[in-house]
Amino acid sequence: MHFHQILLFIIHKISGQRSENAPYYLLKGKKSGQTIQDVTYFQLHAFFSILPQLSKEDYDEAINELFKNEFIRVNESLVYITEKGIEILPSDKEPLFNGWKYRGKEQLFWKRIDLVIQTLSQFQANEKKFVPNQKDISIQHFVKDFLIQNNFREFNLNTDIKQEIFYLLENPSFDDLHRTLFVYRLSGYKTTGLTWEQLARHYHMTDLNIKIIFLECLHSMLDNISIETSPRLFNLAKDIRIDTPLTESAFKTNSLFEKGYSIEEIAKIRKLKINTIEDHVIEIVSNNKNFSISAFISKEQIEEILHLSNELETKKLTLIKQRLPEISFFQVRLALTKGEKNS
Amino acid sequence: MNKLKLNEILQKKFGHENFRDGQQEIIEQIIAGKDVVAILPTGMGKSLLYQLPAYLMEGTVIIVSPLLSLMQDQVEQLKLLGEKRVIAINSFLPFQEREMAFRHLADFKFIFTSPEMLQNEQFNRALRELSIAYVVADEAHCISQWGFDFRPDYLRISGWIHSLKAVNVLALTATATSEVVKDIKGTLRMTKPFEYIHSLDRPAIAYEIVEVENQQEKMNWILGRVISTEGPGIIYTQSRKKTEVYATMLREQGISVAYYHAKMEQSDRILIQQQFQQGQLDWICATNAFGMGIHKDNIRQIIHDHIPTSVAGYMQEVGRAARDGNQAIASLLYTSSDVEQTFYVAMQDFPEEQDIHFAYQEEYSEVEQAETTSRILAYWKEQLNEQQTIQLFKQIKQKKWQDIQSFYLMIRNDSCLREQLLHYFDQALIERPHHCCSKCKLNVSSILRKRTDEKYRQDEMNWIDRLNILLPS
Repeated sequence: MHFHQILLFIIHKISGQRSENAPYYLLKGKKSGQTIQDVTYFQLHAFFSILPQLSKEDYDEAINELFKNEFIRVNESLVYITEKGIEILPSDKEPLFNGWKYRGKEQLFWKRIDLVIQTLSQFQANEKKFVPNQKDISIQHFVKDFLIQNNFREFNLNTDIKQEIFYLLENPSFDDLHRTLFVYRLSGYKTTGLTWEQLARHYHMTDLNIKIIFLECLHSMLDNISIETSPRLFNLAKDIRIDTPLTESAFKTNSLFEKGYSIEEIAKIRKLKINTIEDHVIEIVSNNKNFSISAFISKEQIEEILHLSNELETKKLTLIKQRLPEISFFQVRLALTKGEKNS
Repeated sequence: MNKLKLNEILQKKFGHENFRDGQQEIIEQIIAGKDVVAILPTGMGKSLLYQLPAYLMEGTVIIVSPLLSLMQDQVEQLKLLGEKRVIAINSFLPFQEREMAFRHLADFKFIFTSPEMLQNEQFNRALRELSIAYVVADEAHCISQWGFDFRPDYLRISGWIHSLKAVNVLALTATATSEVVKDIKGTLRMTKPFEYIHSLDRPAIAYEIVEVENQQEKMNWILGRVISTEGPGIIYTQSRKKTEVYATMLREQGISVAYYHAKMEQSDRILIQQQFQQGQLDWICATNAFGMGIHKDNIRQIIHDHIPTSVAGYMQEVGRAARDGNQAIASLLYTSSDVEQTFYVAMQDFPEEQDIHFAYQEEYSEVEQAETTSRILAYWKEQLNEQQTIQLFKQIKQKKWQDIQSFYLMIRNDSCLREQLLHYFDQALIERPHHCCSKCKLNVSSILRKRTDEKYRQDEMNWIDRLNILLPS
């Protein structure tokens, strides 16, 4: 998927409900209540936090281009996808990202595998002294332990790892581009990996698109690593998945809920605003469908809100709230989040 | 210490048959427990001076190095020699690793650290438990405010050495005028140190100065040179944009080339360095960010498209050529208006009177300044009052202008450039090499080899083949 396709894909989902900046915060992985609840509302888990380095200038430039080509339009600060935009949406391609699950930790996996391959390649050529591409000491220690545990001198770790990589790259949802980028970023004996710029030049693409496709490859590989089919790489992917993908602050709030405190009490204890704690509740509900919300909203209220949302074909809070004056904004958000989670 | 023992270690640990000029003398003085100031040109085996004595002495060697990127490289070089007891303790070391290191300091033979860390109380406490063989002040010219690369934090080494009591110090640098040497000795509290000053001349490097009319002519000259003669080489320029412009221009002519500057991602910078070192690239177009920690012996050409901001910096960049001792050439292109441009570049981050005034205000926040500027000001704020600091910076600025002017004069006059460069460091030319400089009549075509390479082309990419090359079956 290319950058413009990603933007169109997201805008298609939030069309008429959010501003043209919402995709930016989503891609950057902004940890605000709004962004986190949108992930669940609009089923955008794939894209959360995939481009933490994205600059606003690059983003605005891409949005302007979509605008100029009439793929999107903006009306009263809401962004819409146009008919023309829908036509060029890649119909056969699903995004391979899983930003919600990895949150940038895929880079850790990449650094480990890069150093493992470099080391194995050097040792196989009997050139045991080399300068590691990965400078981070904790990565070096991890890889060292991994290599020793896998008896890399005696057994055929090389063959195993190569086979596992082959197996993962042969994944039919990959293009050859995914596979090539992954392999050509790696370095080994007398074979140095290529820079983003060198790869981009070769394929006549932008650096950003090259990085996006590389990321897609990493996420998809990680999704497909299992202890049965790729036991060696499974160990390299240790602690990459985030089991409780809560922000630190939401995590603290969650533990207080578990102890039985109310929203107001938690706000007091943590010296935070009620609004912030409500944001945390939304985040927790997005992640854990078993979290009980009966203290904040009744079953009937949830149904009423979801029904109205369907009828009006909107997830805009203000529109729903206008029709249900006795219900709070927080309750509307809660119902919409719960609704998506159950659908 | 007998000579046999030294030579044995030289061979066993370092794989060299013989010492280079001065190395043995200096090492003997260190082992004898003397303070030493050693000035050697880049590429003359400075690292060996602090590495070798460690194997003949009890205790740990502490190396203070102000350049973090260089520290990483020094650690790697020692590890390449098979030394495992080496660590860099600096702000990049993750907290847990650092805690661990403090508890096990005695396990290390070589501890590299930065001037900032010297103020860390926990680190100092751990150091006091340690038996220290000697302290090394690397890149010692950074201690002097007259040095081209002044690091005010480095001055804190003075009090730190004092607190260690009776420890010997080895100061190393590749460039120092006598003024700078005086500062080094004072700051490091050296008493009657042994001084070794190697000639900074690099006889294998010929100097070529070319005056051109304008920027376009520079491009044409570079293009002509790179197409017709052999590298490997580095083209130094002053802006990031230009590194990219040059690289694109040369690539279109079939040259294997890449650009390099500090704004690139770290992973990509590492890959470019590796590609160049392994011969996968012939030319690098770079800002002065490129070069530290480059281990490539056979660089044949260094081209500057500008007047560098200091003689010392120029010597350092040029010194990356001809490490293997074979002939190389350093070419400098300039126009008559370049000197203003260079002064502008040199003064880019330099604090003006108003900046200093602001720095002395109470509600001053450091974010308003470039990082180096704010660190320098923060230091002087502790030492001097506002007027004194303003005066000091006026002096430094004036000196900078004089330096650039005198460099410009060296380039333009009719005297031998090699002699003038050495004279700047208060040294005399001992023997004029056959290929000296363009003012001593230089036959460039007899130095450079004709380019024979076929045009470089990018091979088709095949991921299966590539994976099999990385990990052969």
